[in-house]
Amino acid sequence: MRVVIAEDNALLREGLVLLLTSAGHEVVAVAGSGPEVLPVLLEHRPDVAVLDVRMPPGFRDEGLRAALEARARIPGLPVLVLSQYVEESYAAELLGVGASGVGYLLKDRIGRVDEFLDALDRVAAGGTALDPEVVTELLTRRRNSPLDSLTPREREVLKLMAEGHDNTTIAKTLVVTERAVSKHIGNVFLKLSLPPSDSGHRRVLAVLAYLQNV
Amino acid sequence: MPGGQLHRRRAHAPNLISMRHTLRQAARASLQLVISAAMAFGSYIFITVLLITAIATAAVVGAFMLPETVLLIRRIAGAKRQQAGAWTGRKIPEAYQPLTGTVRERVRTAVRDPGTLTDFRWMVAYYGYGVLPVLMLPLWPLGLVVDGVWCGLLRRRAVVLPLISRLADLDAHWSTVLLKPSPKAQLAVRVEELVQTRAGAIAAHGAELRRIERDLHDGTQARLVSLSMRIGLAKRAYDQDPEAARRMLDDAQTLAEEALTDLRHVVRAIHPPILTDRGLVGAVRALAASSALSVTVTVDGLTDGHDGPRAPAAVEAAAYFVIAESLTNAAKYSGADRADVHLARARTGLRVQVRDEGRGGADEAGGSGLLGMQRRVAALDGSVTVTSPVGGPTVIEVELPCVW
Repeated sequence: MRVVIAEDNALLREGLVLLLTSAGHEVVAVAGSGPEVLPVLLEHRPDVAVLDVRMPPGFRDEGLRAALEARARIPGLPVLVLSQYVEESYAAELLGVGASGVGYLLKDRIGRVDEFLDALDRVAAGGTALDPEVVTELLTRRRNSPLDSLTPREREVLKLMAEGHDNTTIAKTLVVTERAVSKHIGNVFLKLSLPPSDSGHRRVLAVLAYLQNV
Repeated sequence: MPGGQLHRRRAHAPNLISMRHTLRQAARASLQLVISAAMAFGSYIFITVLLITAIATAAVVGAFMLPETVLLIRRIAGAKRQQAGAWTGRKIPEAYQPLTGTVRERVRTAVRDPGTLTDFRWMVAYYGYGVLPVLMLPLWPLGLVVDGVWCGLLRRRAVVLPLISRLADLDAHWSTVLLKPSPKAQLAVRVEELVQTRAGAIAAHGAELRRIERDLHDGTQARLVSLSMRIGLAKRAYDQDPEAARRMLDDAQTLAEEALTDLRHVVRAIHPPILTDRGLVGAVRALAASSALSVTVTVDGLTDGHDGPRAPAAVEAAAYFVIAESLTNAAKYSGADRADVHLARARTGLRVQVRDEGRGGADEAGGSGLLGMQRRVAALDGSVTVTSPVGGPTVIEVELPCVW
């Protein structure tokens, strides 16, 4: 896969390059500041872009803005946004321009190399990768909602679904059969009165839209 | 002419009320004057105390009496301020330096405080104008007769009884002029306040630094040490027992992740990163969006985003914490399903209001959240007002003085 990295911290940038090349990906370009990002993306048209939220010159949310702008200019460009901290509203902004090919993860997650690479693959393939912390925040803050009627297992399934995992991964993570997972998902959609949808990002969108609006 | 009849009757009506009104007004003024007279009488008796103190202080032996006497004068002057203020409807400000420390310090402060001179001047003057209420005595019988005929029967404007009100006005006016602290005294009090809040701010800052230091040492550093140890052990086990080495590396990774989480919490408590990214308005909107309640944010004089004036970082952080805490409390305890947040830029600083229509009864002294809020705001010389009657609504108002 051809990847563009936007990260100003040299240590992290080199680490990412090392990690991605060792996994067989090709890092075609790196950007070290907010204004550099868009020209680099327009020039290289990578399969996926990995962006840090906070970058020079302002050290605010340049990376996030660049990601939104890039997706407006290059429709469908998969972006994986990394941050030192997660903010629910940032996730909402990113997903606001379409959940297909969007990832938003804590930088900490890079450490779990396999899971990180898996998330990157998912995003590049048009899926979604949402940090578990964002999903937990979404799930815990609601009171008196139909979410309370879910069983613990159904909550776990919902959580993994919202993070963007497919049935196979959910089944593997929870050590159950895929059939059991399908059954739980059916129950979740029924209890939340959501229209049943196929797997993939449309399902994530339905779940996230639900969580954001309860 | 019917029209003229009507006109005359109308013209009489206010006079009828006027006599009753005049009497009531005169009675009120009389009460005021009676209290004044009682106070004047009290201060005539007080003159002996003053004389004894003066003699004792002059003879040095009784200097310790001076601060006590000054405190007594303050109390009498305070009562007069309250009484005169109640009559005019305008509060007379007070400005004293606290008398604390050793006898020597107390005597020195008592003598140097400009408030002492103001009070003393007033007291001397009061010995003179304290007789003012006596003038009321002849006015009553005279007024009842003259105004009874003039106003009650002839329906003219009362002339004598309102003089009693004028007397009370005069008493209050002179008291206001004499008891108003000099600008110097007001400044002295303000300086004293600032010295205290500054000391408080420095203490709060120190406590904050110690807390951060402890968090970093006990949490983050301890985890990193332990992590380094696991890696060392894994290296030793690498050749003989690869399985054990793998387990240790797993542990090491968990520890690294915990250290990162710790670090994020510490950073968030120092200064929420979203404030840097989005400014106060953006950060508060994000808070509102992630609250369990449906929250409306209204803004007055502040701009969204990075442009435009921004309050000092400490003020923004304090405002953010207050709002976050208030919204959490509202979501947990109030039972309301919505809340309003208002941010306003005032001439003197930043004003924040959080309001919910819940069940109220929030205890300002009880909840540690409210206490922490108060401490944080007080460190910036600001104020927190919590109004939360049982049955709601709960309104938390915060003023944070700053220049921006």
